[in-house]
Amino acid sequence: MRRRSVFLPFCSFLLFSLPLTVPAHADELAERARKLHFSSIVLDTHDDTTQRFFSKDYDLAKRNPDGSVDIPRMKEGGMNAIFFSIWIDGRIMGPPAIEKALDQIDAVHENVARNSKDMVFCRTADDVRRAHAQGKIAALMGVEGGHMIGNDIRMVRIFGDLGVRYMTLSHFYNDEWADSSTDKPEHNGLTDYGKEIVREMNRQGVMVDISHVSDKTFYDALEVSKAPLIASHSSCRALCNHVRDMSDDMIKALAAKGGVIQINYEMSFIDQTYKDASDKLSGGVVAMMDQLKKECGDDEACMGKKMTEVQQKAVAEGKLPHVSWERIVDHIDHAVKLVGADHVGLGSDFDGASMPEGMEDASKLPKITEALMRKGYSDDDIRKILGGNLLRVMEQNERVSRELRAQ
Amino acid sequence: MNSERRFQPSYRTKRSAVRNLSFLAVCAFGGLIVTTSLAGDNISDRAKNLHFSSIVVDTHDDTTQLLLDSKFDLGARQTSGSIDIPRMREGGLGAIFFSIWIPSKVTGPIAVEKASQQIDAVREQIHRHPNDLVLATTADQIRRAHKDKKIAALMGVEGGHMINSDLGVLRKYAGLGVRYMTLTHSGNDEWADSSTDKAVHNGLTGFGKDVVREMNRLGVMVDISHVSDKTFYDALSVSKAPLLASHSSCRAICDAPRNMTDQMMKDLAAKDGVVQINYHVGFLSQEFRDAEKADPKINDSIAKEVTKRCGGDTNEGCMLIEGDRITREYVAKGVLPRVDYTKIIEHIDHAVKVAGVDHVGLGSDFDGANMPYGMEDATMLPKITEALLKKGYSDSDVKKILGENTLRLMADVERVSGELNVQK
Repeated sequence: MRRRSVFLPFCSFLLFSLPLTVPAHADELAERARKLHFSSIVLDTHDDTTQRFFSKDYDLAKRNPDGSVDIPRMKEGGMNAIFFSIWIDGRIMGPPAIEKALDQIDAVHENVARNSKDMVFCRTADDVRRAHAQGKIAALMGVEGGHMIGNDIRMVRIFGDLGVRYMTLSHFYNDEWADSSTDKPEHNGLTDYGKEIVREMNRQGVMVDISHVSDKTFYDALEVSKAPLIASHSSCRALCNHVRDMSDDMIKALAAKGGVIQINYEMSFIDQTYKDASDKLSGGVVAMMDQLKKECGDDEACMGKKMTEVQQKAVAEGKLPHVSWERIVDHIDHAVKLVGADHVGLGSDFDGASMPEGMEDASKLPKITEALMRKGYSDDDIRKILGGNLLRVMEQNERVSRELRAQ
Repeated sequence: MNSERRFQPSYRTKRSAVRNLSFLAVCAFGGLIVTTSLAGDNISDRAKNLHFSSIVVDTHDDTTQLLLDSKFDLGARQTSGSIDIPRMREGGLGAIFFSIWIPSKVTGPIAVEKASQQIDAVREQIHRHPNDLVLATTADQIRRAHKDKKIAALMGVEGGHMINSDLGVLRKYAGLGVRYMTLTHSGNDEWADSSTDKAVHNGLTGFGKDVVREMNRLGVMVDISHVSDKTFYDALSVSKAPLLASHSSCRAICDAPRNMTDQMMKDLAAKDGVVQINYHVGFLSQEFRDAEKADPKINDSIAKEVTKRCGGDTNEGCMLIEGDRITREYVAKGVLPRVDYTKIIEHIDHAVKVAGVDHVGLGSDFDGANMPYGMEDATMLPKITEALLKKGYSDSDVKKILGENTLRLMADVERVSGELNVQK
């Protein structure tokens, strides 16, 4: 607020008093934003690119004609730290879920190893900083859904040992020990075992991710966790009333304990008009996924492709409204106004969701920096949002882990 | 884990099938060794000095089954079983491969989960005992642990069925610290024939060969204990790194399919591999095998008694310990012959004569098999050093057998892995 009130008069002055100088100043700002962006650690906590590793048509090292993330586009967009999401359908449970998760972890390791000139696998905030200093992209992993541990707390340790740095407590469906925001509550939040799992995650230094979980699960996790939480890819319910997003109260409670909300770019999470139209069309995200699942079976790359096709067709036919990338900035700004610049970051959901116009892929990320600068955000605050906040939370999780292990 | 624990319930047909095989060779010294007092109780100073300054490596211990019971404390001296930290210290055991094992019949994703649970159990013990144990994945790390007066803990996956035909899973086991994989256990898996099952793959399948190549790339030793002779030769021809027999003895002395023929040992050695002698009485003594074979009812009644004492057949840790205990009771009753630890020395000596002193080591099968008298647990290990010295082995040869050969093999496997990764 303070920054903005300083900025606005200045901006009006430019616009109305000296219109001829606007292009020069705008270019200057754009250049400053560029410099800031490309010297910052730009960290995205949620990318479903992992699913594409299983497709023969996809090559992480090359510019791909579809999807949002590959090394050339990451470089172009200055995205230099990425959490590859380990994800399988929430209805696959038990030992098959564990094995499939291991396969995806392996696919990340193998793809990073294959691209060692450009990427390095990271486990800690320091690792990420070191990668940045070496000019390499930091690759990390998050497990998106507690169902992948097969109801076995030991798998938290196995995944953690293999380098997983966050786990989303549930996906679209409840798992054995946590309620999801998009399923009927059956556990009243976290079960006792679910609380034990949160404690074990703290001990292992695996960040507790509360995206996807029910509000009650969120509050239970917040109470149990000794380390700050993350919402790896959630936006603001005040701007778009979606259960996958966080209410202002939740964002405040998260921030009060040092956590961070990483804004998701999915159109139905950031734009109310779009969400309403989309709900009318498909009966909500789960119903749409169900329909696509019938068409694609287990081929997750196909699912992603189909989802984009369905969505683009609907927009073209006028059944869905256009959504601009600027809505992302609105959500960032809302969260910052609510809890300050220390508790907001980026969790795109690239390659796993429908991107707004102008944010089709990682190459577009510098726009966010420029937009925030135009809004009057300080360089320091922008750096925090781009990645600094998440690194702080990682460090806090690492410290809590060390303390708990020493006990 | 020996392939045919005699106390297995009889429905484990893969194991009982073995007993139909005919045993041709005669056990050279069977029945002649009647040691009333354990000679090893008096270890010479020379042997003590040599033993406790050497890196003693054991490539096969089934203690992991006991670790699955959260009440088991590896840090406390146990009254049963063979391995715990105090007894490893007392016996100078400096590096131990904890075996990751589930029965061959458990396959698919459940096998992956159960193996992961065991890997976790080993890693948790290491975390719990940071002053005594350290996870090691390379020969150098074992040497460093020895210098730091810590026991190096390693892991081997005993049976290819645990990867569920999935190279990704194999890579993750390697990532978690697994340093060898036995291509099969007592049953065939999807891509390799076992020595104790009916051959269906004619050795290694095409995928099985890919598994071996990937193990080479990962620096995971290829373990040919348990596999059929044809699988062994297939692995020998495919592998770019020397092979390990993590726990097998000499078929010339005791004709068990789980043991290696002289020719196999020669061929293994010609490619720089190492055979790690197994202490299981059924693999050491022909007389013991013959007695078992003569009366199949013995196995059935032991199996019944084990199931009774362990409340079913799911607690593998209990079954292993009780199986050993009941076997001893049968020996005491005179139903089964007594086998002494000197039989281990006989196998080592035979393997050295056949394959050379650079190609023999120790793979006890502690906590997974029936130990001979005088080798009940890890505290007895100095007796091996004493006995080898008495036989006239040089200090440096004894050191090789105790662990240096295994360390050389590991270093070779690491080098090959490095080369293959560069080529990539």
